[in-house]
Amino acid sequence: MSLRVLCLGNSLLADDAFGLLVAERLRGQEPHVDVAEASTSGFDLLDYTLGADRLLVVDTFKSGALPPGAISVFREEDVQSVPGGSPHYVGLFEALRLGKELRLPVPQDVTIIAVEPADCLTVGGPMHPAVQGAVEAVLELIRKQSVVRPGAHNCG
Amino acid sequence: MPAETISTPRNITIDPITRLEGHGKIDIWLNAQGQVDRAYFQVPELRGFEKFAQGRLAEDMPQITSRICGVCPTAHHMAGTKALDSLYQVQPTSAAAKIRELIYSTFYVEDHTLHFYFLGGPDFVVGPQAPAAQRNVLGVIAKVGLETGQKVISMRRRLRELIALAGGKPAHPVFGLPGGVAKRLTEEDRKKFQEVAAEAVSFAHFTLEVFDSVVLKNSDYVNLILSDMFIHRTYYLGMVDDKNRVNFYDGQLRVVSPEGKEYAKFPGDRYLDYVAEHVEPWSYMKFTFLKPIGWKGFVDGPESGIYAVAPLARLNAADGMATPLAQQAYEKMYATLGGKPAHHTLAIHWARVVEILYAAERMKELADDPEITSPDIRNIPTAVPKEGVGVVEAPRGTLIHHYQTDEKGRITKANLIVATQNNAARIAMSVDKAAKGLIKGSDIPEGVLNMVEMAFRAYDPCNGCATHSLPGSMPLMVRLHGPQGEVVATLRRDGDGTVRR
Repeated sequence: MSLRVLCLGNSLLADDAFGLLVAERLRGQEPHVDVAEASTSGFDLLDYTLGADRLLVVDTFKSGALPPGAISVFREEDVQSVPGGSPHYVGLFEALRLGKELRLPVPQDVTIIAVEPADCLTVGGPMHPAVQGAVEAVLELIRKQSVVRPGAHNCG
Repeated sequence: MPAETISTPRNITIDPITRLEGHGKIDIWLNAQGQVDRAYFQVPELRGFEKFAQGRLAEDMPQITSRICGVCPTAHHMAGTKALDSLYQVQPTSAAAKIRELIYSTFYVEDHTLHFYFLGGPDFVVGPQAPAAQRNVLGVIAKVGLETGQKVISMRRRLRELIALAGGKPAHPVFGLPGGVAKRLTEEDRKKFQEVAAEAVSFAHFTLEVFDSVVLKNSDYVNLILSDMFIHRTYYLGMVDDKNRVNFYDGQLRVVSPEGKEYAKFPGDRYLDYVAEHVEPWSYMKFTFLKPIGWKGFVDGPESGIYAVAPLARLNAADGMATPLAQQAYEKMYATLGGKPAHHTLAIHWARVVEILYAAERMKELADDPEITSPDIRNIPTAVPKEGVGVVEAPRGTLIHHYQTDEKGRITKANLIVATQNNAARIAMSVDKAAKGLIKGSDIPEGVLNMVEMAFRAYDPCNGCATHSLPGSMPLMVRLHGPQGEVVATLRRDGDGTVRR
């Protein structure tokens, strides 16, 4: 089964650059891994998911409940986004659900590796040291995930 | 403490929490009787842009500004490029201007179509009264059919391929240069544009039919559009061509009064004579208003400087559309709404569909124009830079980039006025009115969350930082604050749709 690592972020917005930093390191260290990166929103994300069987998404996720740099791992089915939530909002999960509904080749297996940021709103702002420090641990998680057999950790 | 037990003055905050906290937040203030005193719409703003821009080369701004925004990067790229034309005192060649407008029209068809079907759709295609579980993108597909859903996605894919072909990259185009564009179009490229443009026109027409059959044939929806709860009589601002017809890419800015009379018409670089910013202590947002009229508070009417932008405002500010099918749709819309200007906030969705048709027709006109493949795509700038203003109509409204530089073209001062800022005062009024109409006493029905959201969603408010937010849903929170601002109760709708108190 094909695996893709999709790194999300914005290089101009402080800690939001995290995903892109991981992408850069991954390309240098794991040339065999299919790495994609995106700074866009909503449906545009669908383009980056199509055609892979498994998808690992790396992004920042502000829960407000965890310290900066804390890593959470969860799966698509852990996030109940449609139906429910806002009827107007389209993010990664809505795009995936829509893709599935429209019979597009969306990945069957989606895992999210999320890092708690301190600040994602300051243009040109610095990265928090703890967020920057999470890069190594996330790379290690990706290495582990990329050898785990698909479905082995199915929580659904 | 349950919400119902609170009876002292307080404010309610409907606070959509996302990864970036990048979506709007609504503050509703209640009086001692538990009735809505006033409601405000807030947008968390990105910090530090001006500082970040200082010292950078102005020529990098079209790339930098397009990367700040994950929602409409093409609009920022285009406004930035036009600001560079102005800064370096150079006009793009005729072919380059046409290529820019062609790419921009392509972007418009894509952006507006997605909004209509998947963001606005849950309100109108599925319906405002539909159960919450159906009011989402999947509900839209169920209503319009799988085939239409696939058509939207495939149309979008082909439009984006064209933007990538002509603009360098699909998400963050890189084609704009002062005095022109970076790449000419070949005859083969032109054929692709012609092919997709023809499909886009028929798709836009089809979308108008969907609007007609699903929305206009349903009297409940029409009554909602016409209901006083969603009406505001404000000024309207939009860009027009030399015949006062809607133009997204270039022209003069025109303001019409709430009575529909031309109030002002001016080139973009004179925006500071007409637009000023008002600051409220409760918001980071700078509310723009018409400077000659002045800020009179959050009130309607010709004495108030509040104005609106975006699809309906653009149509109100113009005398018509520059393409034939869009003109027909324009006339039908105003005939149904009872003339111009239309003050119906929810008719913004309708105006958006009229604009899809215009963008598709314009795309076809430009693709059919033989000059579009001309190799003459650049005028090389020779002037010493000092100051430049670039204005375009972004899908969500008038977008202004203003740069001042030293003689080497390094930014000394940068100012952006974005669409949502132009609309902010009217959005706050819309939310206010909807809240007043819906919230009676201390009981806050769950449906209020949807209806209040509808009031601001029609504007498609773009919050620059709202990128690819996880967790992928938009929970809402209503917070009740006591007179001292302390939180005394909460009402929360979670990502899975459940409501907790």
